[in-house]
Amino acid sequence: MNRLLFSASAGALAMALGAAPALAQELPGSFDGVTIDAKLIGGQQYEALYARIAEWEEATGAKVNVISKKNHFELDKEIKSDIATGSIGWCVGSNHSSFAPQYPGIYTDLVALLPQSEIDAFVPANISASTLDGRLVMLPRAQFDVSALYYQKSLYEDDEKKAEFKEKYGYDLVPPDTWQEVADQAAFFANPPDFYGTQYAGKEEAINGRFYEMLVAEGGEYLDADGRPAFNSEAGQRALQWFVDLYEAKAVPAGTTNYLWDDLGQGFASGTVAINLDWPGWAGFFNDPQSSKVAGDVGVKVQPKGSSGKRTGWSGHHGFSVTESCADKEAAASLVWWLTNEDSQKLEAAAGPLPTRTAVWEWVVAEAEGDAYRQEVLTAFQQAAEHAFPVPQTASWIEISNAVYPELQAAILGDKSAEQALNDAAEKATEILEDAGEL
Amino acid sequence: MKSWRLLAPYLLLLPAFIVLAAVVVVPLLLSLYSSFTPFRLTRPDSIWTFIGLRNYERLFTDWEFWVAFGRTVLLLTVALNLEMVLGLGLAVLVEKATRGQRLLRTIMMFPMMFSPVLVGFQFKFMFNDNIGLINNALQGLGLTDRAIPWLIDGTLAFIAILTAEIWSSTAVFAIFILAGLMAMPKEPVEAARVDGCTPWQTFRYVTWPYLMPFAFIAMTIRSLDIARAYDIVKIMTDGGPAKRTEILWTLIARTGYSDARMGLANAMAYIAILLSIVFTAMFFRQLAKARAQIAAEW
Amino acid sequence: MDRNAAHRMKRGLFKATHLILLFLAMAIICLPGLWIVLSSLRPTVEIMAKPPVWIPREISLDAYVAMFSGVGQGGIPVIEYFRNSLVISVTSTVIALAVGMAGGYAFARYRFAFKSSIFLGFMLTRTVPGIALSLPLFFVYARLGIIDTHFGLILAYVALNVPFTIWLIDGFFRQVPKDLAEAAQIDGCTRWQAFWQVEFPLARPGIASAGIFAFLISWNEFALASQLTRSTSSKTLPVGLLDYTAEFTIDWRGMCALAVVMIIPALTLTFIVQKHLVSGLTSGAVKG
Repeated sequence: MNRLLFSASAGALAMALGAAPALAQELPGSFDGVTIDAKLIGGQQYEALYARIAEWEEATGAKVNVISKKNHFELDKEIKSDIATGSIGWCVGSNHSSFAPQYPGIYTDLVALLPQSEIDAFVPANISASTLDGRLVMLPRAQFDVSALYYQKSLYEDDEKKAEFKEKYGYDLVPPDTWQEVADQAAFFANPPDFYGTQYAGKEEAINGRFYEMLVAEGGEYLDADGRPAFNSEAGQRALQWFVDLYEAKAVPAGTTNYLWDDLGQGFASGTVAINLDWPGWAGFFNDPQSSKVAGDVGVKVQPKGSSGKRTGWSGHHGFSVTESCADKEAAASLVWWLTNEDSQKLEAAAGPLPTRTAVWEWVVAEAEGDAYRQEVLTAFQQAAEHAFPVPQTASWIEISNAVYPELQAAILGDKSAEQALNDAAEKATEILEDAGEL
Repeated sequence: MKSWRLLAPYLLLLPAFIVLAAVVVVPLLLSLYSSFTPFRLTRPDSIWTFIGLRNYERLFTDWEFWVAFGRTVLLLTVALNLEMVLGLGLAVLVEKATRGQRLLRTIMMFPMMFSPVLVGFQFKFMFNDNIGLINNALQGLGLTDRAIPWLIDGTLAFIAILTAEIWSSTAVFAIFILAGLMAMPKEPVEAARVDGCTPWQTFRYVTWPYLMPFAFIAMTIRSLDIARAYDIVKIMTDGGPAKRTEILWTLIARTGYSDARMGLANAMAYIAILLSIVFTAMFFRQLAKARAQIAAEW
Repeated sequence: MDRNAAHRMKRGLFKATHLILLFLAMAIICLPGLWIVLSSLRPTVEIMAKPPVWIPREISLDAYVAMFSGVGQGGIPVIEYFRNSLVISVTSTVIALAVGMAGGYAFARYRFAFKSSIFLGFMLTRTVPGIALSLPLFFVYARLGIIDTHFGLILAYVALNVPFTIWLIDGFFRQVPKDLAEAAQIDGCTRWQAFWQVEFPLARPGIASAGIFAFLISWNEFALASQLTRSTSSKTLPVGLLDYTAEFTIDWRGMCALAVVMIIPALTLTFIVQKHLVSGLTSGAVKG
């Protein structure tokens, strides 16, 4: 009965119906004859999950028509093109917490379509990062990303080095817990051009994200309560100076300002970098003798704190959304739920990525029993997740990133002082927000 | 019969007209219109706001845009000329080879078969300062003990991009110039030798003028196709760091898609198109001149 | 030392220099490409090693096995991509050649108003950067409902290649003496017959060279393909390369393996038609 009404009703009615908790009780439900058009993120890491779509089709009687499979940035371009040309005829789309604020209004509130108990089964921080203006726009899949510290264990077991370090810096050489210690140790370990203390992503949204989390750890904020750029504060200068000092001390590879994630991962795996703040996706790669020279020598630790005592923790996650214009939201929501339910998350998390459901976290930790490295990784990332925070929730985040990162690079490379660069960047960011009508 | 003769060329050209109108002209008119609006991809309604020349005015006073513009012209000029010189050298070498021509010609075209996306990644890895092949080779041979920041320093990054670009596109020049060499009548060269010209003089005053039209055709084709370089630059540096390698296409793509400001991006694109037209028209005139010269001499 | 010997030595020296230079040039051309081929056969730990491992210690076909092992097991739908690429490149090349032959013939054999302006106009359509074209083109395609179809991409590539094929083929027809076709017509052939039996065979090398350029351009095109294709039913190989990139990671070995798969048809085709290519470009260029 509900089904009939649903397919015939407009959005407003759907909302009203959805508010009734009785609606979606028997997930996945039955949707004979319904076809759901979906745009999914492509790439080997993400596609194993889609094998489960066939099971959903069998259980519900519906069909899924995958109309697009692309990598994340291409998909972003495609969705923007769809918005621009008014061609959002599809129902389910892959989404990402950092990109979601850019698509205002095209995705529907999932709270209305799914039972509260299912939503409560997710890690609360992930749910809040998926909620924009009070609407749950996406359901997180087991592709949660926050960075923790990878390091070469053997460097910390060398007695000679330990003594030398202690004499120079006055404290013991142990895996670092503050960013100041990272800076000290990076300078200490560095021996360019053969070996570097650490490295960081140096371009595009990546450097802006790293700067953002360092800013938070230094006690600053990116946008203030009114939404104005506030990163050119003293905390901001301290944060940026950290990157500048490492670069000047040659503790990072000279090319670091052109590095993106792939370069960083390959760099650490080549055994020429001591300490590396990086994503969970590399954990398996680093410890695999087929791909990494440091296999067997990798330690993982929760990410360090800044001078304010707060830890860094820029995070993001992938998820699935249902469009506002979807004709059969209930079926679409059921598919989204299916792709993020416990079995789906177990399937994805077993291959390495981090889950976003509390029960699945417990399951992966239990599964890792007997595998010391995997346990170390999971413990570190579980702690890391506790300190995670998403990007500022403005639709202009990516645009601001594009304006800010060349300024950050200019400071790192010594073209400008940190203060000057941040002031210039803040000016551009303010202009962008004004242009967008957000200020 | 008479009317057929008059109509025939137009009928024969009709398919080309239709295809080009559908795929190039109509979209171009759309983007011309949108360059007079503050069109943002994420706000489709903004395409109906007409703001006249504001986007263009903004660009004319935007220093960073003109720096990128200048760098693009520089990249084009240097790349095309170097490719021509290297292509000439390569063609001469291949032409002189007495055996294995077929294989050599195929190898010569080898780089053209790689997707620019892949070329970008390959050269990015090669020029990586830490684990890249180039630095490793230089350090291994004892030529330097530093990690040369190939993709960081503005000049070096320009060189790195140029290398990738030249590697992937010199083949076009080589193949055209080779075609010219093989088609060249032998008598004038013989005559020059008999007259006591040095090899260099023979080349300069006899061979080269004959090859010019081939070189200019290659040049025109390359300048039409130069936006290919976008894929390579996008992957190698994406205009960075600190805008040191920004060229028009990376700037346009970022503004249009990542920033979603398509109206502004289209205004930039129109200025870029003017640039291409100037380059193309220039080569066409050179080509016509070179052809006229050959026709007069032979 | 007599004069003869000196002369012989000079010639020998010259020959040796030539061989060395030729070898060096070929090496520079081949190395980055061969490195890609090699990278597809080696474990990542060797590719990105420091100090570098110059001579591979381990060779395996793992990347290829993985590529074909199906989605979810590290595979990508390479067969579909390959089919799409082949269908799109071959069809668009054939159409571009047909349109180019018609157009080229018109420019070579007829006088008509605005001839040179039309010619220049055709060429200038190629100056539009793909990035400026991609969104408006998408807009038009979305309205027509031909996003994510073979047809859409074929149409785009025909437009991309037509100016070039017209140009080359035009030059070629000009070089075929007009008298030949006229003689055939006097002998009782229709103009159509004269074209196919006399002019076309003579112009074949030119058409072959235009064809290979058109094919290579379509085969490797990325910017438009990434905008106009979406699912496995139309994605081409260059777009498929990005399947090896995730948000934070990249499988360079896998990309290299796919690159090798991409190069094989292009290389084969070039090898087959390169003889025509050189002679084709020759006459096309000078007389154009």
